[in-house]
Amino acid sequence: MTLSIGLDAALSALSTTADQTSIVSRNVARAGEPGASRKIANLVTLQGGGVKVASVTRAANAALYDKLLGATSDSAAQKAIVDALDRLDATINDPELDASPAALVGKLADALHTYATSPQDAAAARSAVAAAADLAQALNAATGTVQQLRTEADGEMAASVGNINTLLARFETVNTEIVKGTRRGADVTDLLDERDQILTGISAEVGVRTVSRGDNDMAVYTDSGVTLFDVKARAVTFDRTYSFSATTTGNVVYADGVPITGNSGRMLAGSGRLTGLAAIRDTYAPTYQSQLDEIARGLITTFAESDQSATPTLPDVPGLFTYSGAPAMPASGTLVVGLAGSIKVNANVDPSQGGNATRLRDGGISNPGNPAYVYNSTGAAGFSQRLEQLIDALGTQQSFDASAGLVASSTLSGFASSSVSWLQESRKSASADSDYKAALLERASDALTKVTGVNLDEEMTLLLELERSYQASTRLVTTIDNMLAALLQAAG
Amino acid sequence: MTSTFIASSAVSGAVRSSLMKLQAKLAEAQKEVATGRLADVGLSLGFKAGQTVSLRQEHSRLQSITDSNGLVASRLDASQAALKAFAEGAQSFLGQLVVARNSDTAAATIEGQAKAALAGFTDLANTTFNGVALFAGINTDVKPITDYASSPPAANALAVANAFTTAFGISQSNAAVASITPAAMQTFLDGAFANLFDPTAWSSTWSAAADQNTKSRISTSELVETSVNANDEAFRKLASAYTMLADLGTANLSQTTYQAIVDKATLVVGDALQGITALQAKLGSVQERVKNADTRMGIEIDIMTSHIGALEGVDPYEASSRLSTLLTQVETAYAMTARIQQLTLLNYLPTR
Repeated sequence: MTLSIGLDAALSALSTTADQTSIVSRNVARAGEPGASRKIANLVTLQGGGVKVASVTRAANAALYDKLLGATSDSAAQKAIVDALDRLDATINDPELDASPAALVGKLADALHTYATSPQDAAAARSAVAAAADLAQALNAATGTVQQLRTEADGEMAASVGNINTLLARFETVNTEIVKGTRRGADVTDLLDERDQILTGISAEVGVRTVSRGDNDMAVYTDSGVTLFDVKARAVTFDRTYSFSATTTGNVVYADGVPITGNSGRMLAGSGRLTGLAAIRDTYAPTYQSQLDEIARGLITTFAESDQSATPTLPDVPGLFTYSGAPAMPASGTLVVGLAGSIKVNANVDPSQGGNATRLRDGGISNPGNPAYVYNSTGAAGFSQRLEQLIDALGTQQSFDASAGLVASSTLSGFASSSVSWLQESRKSASADSDYKAALLERASDALTKVTGVNLDEEMTLLLELERSYQASTRLVTTIDNMLAALLQAAG
Repeated sequence: MTSTFIASSAVSGAVRSSLMKLQAKLAEAQKEVATGRLADVGLSLGFKAGQTVSLRQEHSRLQSITDSNGLVASRLDASQAALKAFAEGAQSFLGQLVVARNSDTAAATIEGQAKAALAGFTDLANTTFNGVALFAGINTDVKPITDYASSPPAANALAVANAFTTAFGISQSNAAVASITPAAMQTFLDGAFANLFDPTAWSSTWSAAADQNTKSRISTSELVETSVNANDEAFRKLASAYTMLADLGTANLSQTTYQAIVDKATLVVGDALQGITALQAKLGSVQERVKNADTRMGIEIDIMTSHIGALEGVDPYEASSRLSTLLTQVETAYAMTARIQQLTLLNYLPTR
């Protein structure tokens, strides 16, 4: 009965061609989907000459995929930093706008000079006080920006942690399916694609390392080695802080009970958006804040009033610029965290708060009732000595706290300028780094897509081949049918 | 399977991502061409951004000093003009004294002239400029010299009257002053009368000026005195000379006593003139310094402007040629995208 064997073979060819066509259709349908891999039908010859689709596999490249994961994490971390630094740049803006604290210190010096040239001029006094108020407000606003940024970074960290947990839960579901399906011998290629995509999502949030095991099972660790998934998803936990002040310290993110962000910990994650956000919240923003605080402290120190009695006995007190700790002076050369947020122009000298602007010229701002701090004892309208003294003080070197990360000793405006330098240099290098990481990511993603993606032209040619083979098989079936019919006729 | 394989999405994706980058650069180049400055100064300069901020600060500082120097210079000009008028007044009074000395009838005339000169002196010393009393030291809001001729008599006139009565037992208007001997008058002039013009008495009866002169910063490092005050010896001497002839009963004095006063006044005016010249020289040298400082700061401002330009600016030719290159590239990318879209086997398959 060889004819019927031929018929069986032709029939198996027909059904195999149909299977292969469906795979071509799947490939074509998902050609534009990022992360979808090309599916390949593996054929085996059956006993008796038939064929069948034994299994479906996918085009994959583990090395390229690992590279993609790494590049995704690195790029996400840098991008978070660059975005945040761009936000901080709002406190400086284009130098042409003279909006930075450094430029406003300069403007205050200019206003003091104009006032010193016409000390009898009440308008010049008011404009000098207004310049001081602008500066104080700019420092307050910059503190607001920095702390807002930290609050938002903290919120994004919470969102990121939430995202990681959701993705890990999905990962668990998909991974279980894959293991089961593989054991059953089912087609798991679409599930594998999905799992890869979930993993890419996780790697954008936190750097990961994977270990593949039998039955297509996979375990996921952070790049520092903390378990995120091993048979079961591990909990990533984080306590969000809803409001930040300069003195607030944000909470640490734990994965499987082990800290993966923060300063102390042996298994801190090295990349991913979470790391970038933590760096902003815990390093960049606080450093910039301490620079602002030091500028504020420098101002309070520069404009302090001293006892003018013949034999001075009273301590120095904050003058034009004051803060919550007045009348005590902030300790010299020591950072007062959050000072830039509370610095303000003394109401006694601010006309808009009912004060008298000429006290800037005469002294006695700290306490108008205490004559010891009055510099212009005769009340002369042309007294410019105190103003000149202030201008000189602005140009005098003073010491700054090393924790601000800038020069230890400088003039106030020099310090403020170097803060601008610090921020812009951080931006420049972070931005260059981010561009580089983004390019790497693009490369990695390109390389992977090139290898694992679908080529429409190839699928089309494959389809032509299948069409031909289908036509041939049907021809075979009809021919054998004719032959069998002839045989029956001859027998009949 | 195949030796070289490439996914379709990789082909179109390559053009797409490079197109995005090109467009981002295009926006940047456009801004740079329009403004002539870097699109994002801070990002491009990095740590050098602090430099341009400092330079801008210094630039505006110099600019504000230059501006205020304009005011200082015009104040100095006004002071110089007033000093010149003082000197001219004193000079012409000197001439009148010479004429009056040997004439019997001139005493009444010179008394009137002296009164006028004293009034002129007071006016000049009280010159204000832009709301600032020029000769009041740092007490710029008060007119420094008390009006001698005011009624009721001011402190300075009263002090002279008291001293006169104490010395001679009669008032200046008493006809008996004719009996005052030249020697007695000489003693009075050198003693009690001169004491009225010593710094302490001057400050309490004549002058409200402060001894301290106004100081102005005429460059970042120079803080100089830019005024002279009415307490200066020259002013006191001038006032005393005018007063001698204006209010010591000159008209009724004996000829010899009158001559003694004229001689003394001549000496004192001469001294005062020397003093005024010294003051003119002092202010003159300050004017010179202001001018020099302005020139110097002008040069510094130019240097800073060009330095800021060098840091923040872009070469307009480079920027615009970059812009046109980018435009060409973007156009090419568009054309390529369109061509690649057409490049598919589907177009060549027979349709049935």
